[in-house]
Amino acid sequence: MIGPSRVAELDMPAAGIETGTARPAQSYWNESWERLRANRIGIAAGILILIFAVIAVMAPLFSLILTHYQPQTINLDQTFMKPGSTHLLGSDELGRDTLTRLIWGARVSLGVAFLTVAMSLTLGTTVGMVAGYYGGWIDDVLMRLVDTVLAIPAIFLFILMSILFRPNAFTLAAIVASVGWGSVARLVRGEVLSVKQRDFILATRSIGARDTRLMLRHLLPNVLPVLIVAASLGVGQIILIEAALDFLGLGIQPPTPSWGNMLTNAQSYFFRSGFLVALPGIAIFVTVLASNMFGNAIRDAFDPRLKS
Amino acid sequence: MLAKYIARRLLASVVVVLGVTLITLLLMDRTRGAYVPGIDFNPSLRPEDIARLRADLGLDRPFYEWYLSWIWGVLHGDFGHSMIDGSTVMSHIVDRLPNTIELTATAILIGMVVAVPVGVIGALRRGSKTDHALTVVSVAGFAVPQFWMGLMLILIFSVTLEQHGLPWLPSSGAYSPFNGGDVLDRLQHLVLPATVLSFFYVSTWSRFIRSSMLEVLSQDYIRTARAKGMSERRVVYLHGLRNALIPLITLIGLELPGLVSGGLVVEVVFGWPGIGRLAFERALQYDYSTVMGVTFFATLLVIAGNLLADLLYGVLDPRIRYG
Repeated sequence: MIGPSRVAELDMPAAGIETGTARPAQSYWNESWERLRANRIGIAAGILILIFAVIAVMAPLFSLILTHYQPQTINLDQTFMKPGSTHLLGSDELGRDTLTRLIWGARVSLGVAFLTVAMSLTLGTTVGMVAGYYGGWIDDVLMRLVDTVLAIPAIFLFILMSILFRPNAFTLAAIVASVGWGSVARLVRGEVLSVKQRDFILATRSIGARDTRLMLRHLLPNVLPVLIVAASLGVGQIILIEAALDFLGLGIQPPTPSWGNMLTNAQSYFFRSGFLVALPGIAIFVTVLASNMFGNAIRDAFDPRLKS
Repeated sequence: MLAKYIARRLLASVVVVLGVTLITLLLMDRTRGAYVPGIDFNPSLRPEDIARLRADLGLDRPFYEWYLSWIWGVLHGDFGHSMIDGSTVMSHIVDRLPNTIELTATAILIGMVVAVPVGVIGALRRGSKTDHALTVVSVAGFAVPQFWMGLMLILIFSVTLEQHGLPWLPSSGAYSPFNGGDVLDRLQHLVLPATVLSFFYVSTWSRFIRSSMLEVLSQDYIRTARAKGMSERRVVYLHGLRNALIPLITLIGLELPGLVSGGLVVEVVFGWPGIGRLAFERALQYDYSTVMGVTFFATLLVIAGNLLADLLYGVLDPRIRYG
């Protein structure tokens, strides 16, 4: 267990030692967990996200036992129903059940968001670590690349790429991640540059550790807190971006329901049903709000220096 | 020193601009495949005409040749012709840009006028109920999808008001197609999109001003000013706010590229004839000379915005030196 103990060296509470109070030395991870647990709003938001995730994963089950509809079942006798006993949250222009479609839409939103975060973290961490560790021309080349990626107005890149690749959940995540990795790389590089100066790196190198071992076993655990914070703060933004792309018709394509493309559809039926416009947006709003609040809690817990 | 700094930044920018345009063209080139919709599927064109048109547009050449001649043209102020309608790309940009500036400038102005007092109040009454309420609104502002907020405003202020026979706000376009175009008409069209766009600015900037103000108010020179017996009002507004606003300049500078891309979604929702919607529509039509032109332009704005923000920062805060 090299990781946690190494990290502990970073943020060890010096105050306790200096004043001589007998405070048991806690690991960084224990302390962070304690701080997170104390943040009730943050925990509540986290639980909400968890519930949404469970609903998303078990969408088929929910549409079987709760709503009794499939997301793409068309029923032309029941178009534009108001919320009621037949359709809990009403139905759309083809008589499809709105609640069922929202539940299935959660799969898209959350699935793409987590996939995107995973992809941008992987690529961003690799690039940032290599750039920061090796420095020199490698650093220059990689960082100019990052500058370039971040200088393209992201929305243009998304538009062009979603025309190029027929978007499904996987390609959509790759498209969004193709921009998202840039800022992760910058972040990681900065951390690596500072960690690299520490004595234990010199010590490890002097006993003959290889570069890859140094990066994976010694540097990576030290940038982990930054990564956790970046990941948890990123989820909300990505859900918003994904929904906007769906809305513009560049993301998940109908008839697969997503919160974004449900809104595209609803646009045409303003005069028939306000619910169709309101509900998917509320779903996006609540999810993003919860992930932002959870992200803030994570940041406050894992990186108290950043607390606003 | 400063000149050297600017020169170095501009040099680095050239690399970035070349990279951005190259990536854009590469994507477009892969995207367009073998055809241009306006030409290849036009039934009134003979095959030899199609070949001639394609040659005129440079479509028969590999993309690197196209790129080099495009760069050459750009260096001479020539952005080429649209592949859809044959008019110059520059004329499209010149046509759409004023509308976008109208929308964005209004939104930024409203954003500042609202965000500054909100941020200051939050900082001065830190921890109060007002502060908490303002925090909640701003946190919510980060979570609202812009396009949905636009749709909801249309639903409430256009659709519902109209259904009840009340005066309603227009939901689409920058002016009425018939008998429109005067100042009042334009303002009416501006209300909804500008509200959506500025709401986002307010939630970002007010948080920023709040924390910046808190930081400034804890500085030694504020304590000194208080110790001299200066009135609290003078301390807060003359010494506090003036310094707290400096970082805001950076934020607004960083919004410059938002001129093109930030408002894209809002422009699409409200049918606003701006430059973002131009890029969006033309990208869907594979009109890649137009997309290249707008992307190039947008990238210049990103770079100019960053540079301008850094330079202004140095002017306003003499502690900052460029190396």
